[in-house]
Amino acid sequence: MAGVRLEGIAKSYGQVRVISDLDLAVGDGELLVLVGPSGCGKSTVLRMISGLEDVTGGRILIGERDVTRAAPSKRRVAMVFQSYALFPHMSVADNIGFGLKLSRTPAAEIRRRVNEVGRVLQLDHLLDRKPRQLSGGQRQRVAIGRSIIRDPEVFLFDEPLSNLDAALRIRMRLEIARLHQRLNATMIYVTHDQTEAMTLADRIAVVNAGTVEQLGSPMELYERPANLFVAGFIGAPSMNFFPATPGGGETDIARDGLGARLGAVAREAATFGIRPEHLSPVASDEGDFSARIEIVEDLGAESLIYLQTGLAEDSLTMRVNAGAGLAPGNDIGVRIDRDRVHAFDRDGRAVR
Amino acid sequence: MAENGGLGKSGAQSAASGSQAADAAAKPFDPWPAAMFVILLCLSVLFLAPTLGVLLSSVKTTREIAFGELWTFPARIYLGNFAEVVFNPAVHRYFLNTFLVTLPATALSIAFGVLAGYVFAKLPFRGGNLLFLAIVSGMFFPPQVILIPLFRLFNGLGLIDTLWPIIFIHTAMGIPICTLLMRNFFATVPGALREAAILEGANEWQVLTRVVLPLSLPALAVLATLQFTWIWNDFLWPLIFTQSDEKRTIMLGIVNLKGQYSVAWGVQGALSLIASLPTLVVFLFFQRYFIKGMTMGAVKG
Repeated sequence: MAGVRLEGIAKSYGQVRVISDLDLAVGDGELLVLVGPSGCGKSTVLRMISGLEDVTGGRILIGERDVTRAAPSKRRVAMVFQSYALFPHMSVADNIGFGLKLSRTPAAEIRRRVNEVGRVLQLDHLLDRKPRQLSGGQRQRVAIGRSIIRDPEVFLFDEPLSNLDAALRIRMRLEIARLHQRLNATMIYVTHDQTEAMTLADRIAVVNAGTVEQLGSPMELYERPANLFVAGFIGAPSMNFFPATPGGGETDIARDGLGARLGAVAREAATFGIRPEHLSPVASDEGDFSARIEIVEDLGAESLIYLQTGLAEDSLTMRVNAGAGLAPGNDIGVRIDRDRVHAFDRDGRAVR
Repeated sequence: MAENGGLGKSGAQSAASGSQAADAAAKPFDPWPAAMFVILLCLSVLFLAPTLGVLLSSVKTTREIAFGELWTFPARIYLGNFAEVVFNPAVHRYFLNTFLVTLPATALSIAFGVLAGYVFAKLPFRGGNLLFLAIVSGMFFPPQVILIPLFRLFNGLGLIDTLWPIIFIHTAMGIPICTLLMRNFFATVPGALREAAILEGANEWQVLTRVVLPLSLPALAVLATLQFTWIWNDFLWPLIFTQSDEKRTIMLGIVNLKGQYSVAWGVQGALSLIASLPTLVVFLFFQRYFIKGMTMGAVKG
């Protein structure tokens, strides 16, 4: 096993610069998640590490080896594709053993290791089937089996769960987490799903427009987002934002001295952010500001309340426990958890 | 095949209209399925008539044919024509020559088409599209244009009255269609399969032979059938490049079998039927590979 280091990686397609001067270090045995909106360049980064895509500039190191110009097969990396990319004309066993067969491993040895991997991934009874006879989750496990059999130093996952339905996605997410615990391998995992990122990652790199916006543990990103983008991307439902100087002073943000107090926290703040779970309902004449309930989404254990306020044009989201007895159309007061307010300056950077 | 599809469709239509008629008795008569059926019937008669004619004359004696009763069924099936053809050593020679031309030319043109098609589909390079167009445009050269230069060329090489020019020309003339078909088929094989194989340590040759080609059996089957039939049935190039009877292919042989003073219709008919058997066998053999959905299950759920 080995860590991965990217030094000043750049990638251009013709005149279009997709990634410029990207530095990233993944520790040995770490599971790093690259998360970002589609088209942000996270998959390109992964493909450059795998060698499927050339770099325009910079260096890629796996362990102490410089693999920037090495052929994909020489990098000792394995990749799990979003589409699984199983060979449809081969049985599950042949799919898993394909790499070993190419490296001229003796047939008996291949069979032994395929059986072992099959047992680990609970595929033993499916080894003779063709991919088209498998369910989505089984296919994904075959793809993982093909990647682990050759003991690669680094695992690359390119949105491996995107093609699965919601329930299966959660199960496979758990299986990948178990796999990481058992193999203790270096893994780089690309997804656009922030929940996947939060649940799986040792560390998350939030990627936007070809640059890393912030790198840190899931809770770090959740509690101390470095900028507006990360604040809005991490957490579901996403953080509420409202301008620090609400229009015309007609809103009641100043009530109870909130405006002044927040102002004391961050004098140069342009935007405040507060997560839905850090708002709480109170009687209509109390709280930090008043709001009208627009929509109530009951999720069972909890409810999401969409509020119309004078603070922002968009409605604010509030997360409350179920059975709070809130109905659309009602006017309520809302209290803000003061310690959890985030402030951002005019450039969108967090002010602390 | 078009006939089958057409008939199937009209059949489905009439079945549908039939069940609807049961529901609502006052359904007006729809003339379309009937008209379609009549048209297709006429067409199939038109297509099958020559074959039937040949078949009929092949089982008649020369005497019967000489009486001009071309379309009547013979009173007694006469197999002498077939015997004459099957036991004729010249015919054996024609068959051997035709195989010697058709098999290598089919195999070579498909092999080149596979290699070129793979590069055009999976390994794009600067100017690749232009080159692809140039190769495909080779399909549109009328043979008459290149006939005389080719004759001079092979004459200069001393290869006239051998099978080499025919093999060479059919290989070359088959490359455009083979490249076109293989490129288009390879383009449907998901790129992720190639990338997965490469990450597993495969080189491009192994990607082609172990992953892409096994998935392309339908395309290979179509090409093998097409090329085999075209080359087997070719009349022009063997006519130009062979002179002696030992080098003739089967299509020239059919013409050759007519006697000096009379036309042996029966014998020619028999040989025509026997000569078309290999193409039929090839079609039947490859037919089972015409399977759709070979790539199903490769990607996505």
